[in-house]
Amino acid sequence: MPTKEGKLTDSDKRNMRAAMDRFIPPVDDLPGAGSMGLLDEIERMSVEHERYRKSLVRFLDALTLDMSVEVAGGFLALDDEQRDEAIRDIEGSISNDFANVLEVVYLAYYSRPEVHKRIGWRTGPLQPLGFELPPFDESILENVRKREPFWREAPD
Amino acid sequence: MVTAQEATDIVVIGSGASGAAATWKLAQNGFRVVCLEQGPWVSPDSYPVTKTNWEELIRNSWSYHPNIRQKHADYTVNDDDSAVKVFMYNAVGGSTIHWTAHVPRFHPSDFRVKSLDGVADDWPIDYWDLEPFYDENDVMMGCSGIIGDPANPDRSPRQMPPIPLGPDGERMAQAFDRLGWHWWPSDSHVNSEPYRGRQACNNCGPIGWGCSRRAKASTDVTYLPDAMENGAEVRANSTVFEIVTGPDGRVTGVNYYNEDSEACFQPANAVIVACNGIGTPRMLLHSASAPHPTGLANSSGLVGKNLMFHVYAGANGVFPKMEEPAYKGPLANIIMSQEFYETDLSRGFVRGYTFQMSRSSGPASTAIGAVPWGTDHHTTFDARFGNMNGLGVIGEDLPVETNTVTLDESRKDRFGIPAPRVKYELDENSKRLLAHGVKQARTALLEAGALEVNETAHSVNAGWHLMGTARMGDDPERSVVDANCQAHDADNLFIIDGSVFVTGAGVNPTPTIQAIALRTADYIVRGRSDLRN
Repeated sequence: MPTKEGKLTDSDKRNMRAAMDRFIPPVDDLPGAGSMGLLDEIERMSVEHERYRKSLVRFLDALTLDMSVEVAGGFLALDDEQRDEAIRDIEGSISNDFANVLEVVYLAYYSRPEVHKRIGWRTGPLQPLGFELPPFDESILENVRKREPFWREAPD
Repeated sequence: MVTAQEATDIVVIGSGASGAAATWKLAQNGFRVVCLEQGPWVSPDSYPVTKTNWEELIRNSWSYHPNIRQKHADYTVNDDDSAVKVFMYNAVGGSTIHWTAHVPRFHPSDFRVKSLDGVADDWPIDYWDLEPFYDENDVMMGCSGIIGDPANPDRSPRQMPPIPLGPDGERMAQAFDRLGWHWWPSDSHVNSEPYRGRQACNNCGPIGWGCSRRAKASTDVTYLPDAMENGAEVRANSTVFEIVTGPDGRVTGVNYYNEDSEACFQPANAVIVACNGIGTPRMLLHSASAPHPTGLANSSGLVGKNLMFHVYAGANGVFPKMEEPAYKGPLANIIMSQEFYETDLSRGFVRGYTFQMSRSSGPASTAIGAVPWGTDHHTTFDARFGNMNGLGVIGEDLPVETNTVTLDESRKDRFGIPAPRVKYELDENSKRLLAHGVKQARTALLEAGALEVNETAHSVNAGWHLMGTARMGDDPERSVVDANCQAHDADNLFIIDGSVFVTGAGVNPTPTIQAIALRTADYIVRGRSDLRN
């Protein structure tokens, strides 16, 4: 279980990596989220943000204590299908915490330049570059301008 | 011990949309004004859009919800019993730092719902009373848009042309045209070209978390610099904890904690409360005194009652890939439709709603909101990223006395001031309105070519608009302030935020809040020389 400061133990890290590979599997030439080296970033966010920290503790707790996991001798002993089933159990039983864990994993994964390259997103802050769009073209109003005013008059 | 400050003419509590506008107008007309703001000055250069981890920041230290954000200036809001979660921002500029700056006006009918539709109450003012102040506010904030909208009365030329619609906006507009439904480019307090020393928007997207270019008009970069040039003093990090009254029931000033957490008393000839529809009733209820035993200005018992948020729902369409991804451009300043705005009882509900179009966001935001984990993750992500557009339904929720803000003695801020406790439920009319809106949103998105439409029947995380908790009216037994926003119970106390709304209409409220604030300041300038030393 993570420490109260949000630091992950070695066992947490092994379980988390395995779960993350199920959350976001490998694609093209990219490994799954668990094999991408995101744990430092996840740990940082869980240290900085209490809601992630609390949810991560509950999720990793559940990952150890889930009945199917216990029977098998641990999450790592399960095959992929069984891991998905165990994760779905946890998702159903602690849905808010699970959503927070998924959020922190998505934030870490989708902050990586190699992921940005695959999806066509420009890495870095949005400013100062922004994005270009063609200016407003008034001709698009041609139809709607033909409509008579239809707002409702109101009594004094 | 409370340290007394030098007396001033007017104290304004809050520097957001309304407080800043009133501060500016009063200072410009020679009043000595002190504006007390519980939050700090925040440099636009520090906004999330300037950071690589902006998608993390907007969900945490820049969250709309004060309970998640937990910044030094924030107070906890107990919204456990509310069907809508409460959003606000506490800093110089208030929630205009966070707003999307989408600025439709109320319709004339919105001020006469009792007369026209037999529900709620009429306002003691009308659209035409506010029109010059809407215009004045547009000049100060800078409005991008275009005149000629058939759903609204004519208005003065906008300061700048509309924000670009983008290919996604044009696609949606053409769908509305084919359906024969109204649409119009959104009026936005976002610069489409440089305006008054502020840059033009460069379409970065997440406009709701501060604009580092100052293209979006938050009051810290519009009204307040001008106000300060005219002599107003803006005191940041100053948390008012009590409006003080004398034995005659008139206000004498405010007690506040300064930036060093020392208790101070600011004497004033008048106090203007601009703390938003949650913070204002909290402040009034916490300022009970012998002349005002149930809370300041609360002889009607209506302080904290009739809370309105607007009811929100929506639908999101997933579209075929376009050449230009739909994350380019301000998140929600594209087009709106008011086809279903005015009452038509054949729809099964009274009053109406606006559609506000929205667009895609960054990669993590896309995944968090719309992509499941597991083997289909990448396929779903690739189909949705940059390909989603939404239609939000902003519905008018009618005032109900059981939707309330009270004081929660069990939760207090860092100074021991009780948190606001918010109770809010949707009534049957709101539910029917939202169901209609979602169905029509689906129709429009499919017409625009959506391959898939996902509906949200009621948005819980949508408490941006805080209204109704110190309502305006002519009858002191049925309202808290009069038509000039002057408290019925104290003639030198004014309330100018969304609290004074009698009804909420079906549009974003900020330009109406600011027009009311300017009108009140105008009344003080013209009619209350007794408040000037």
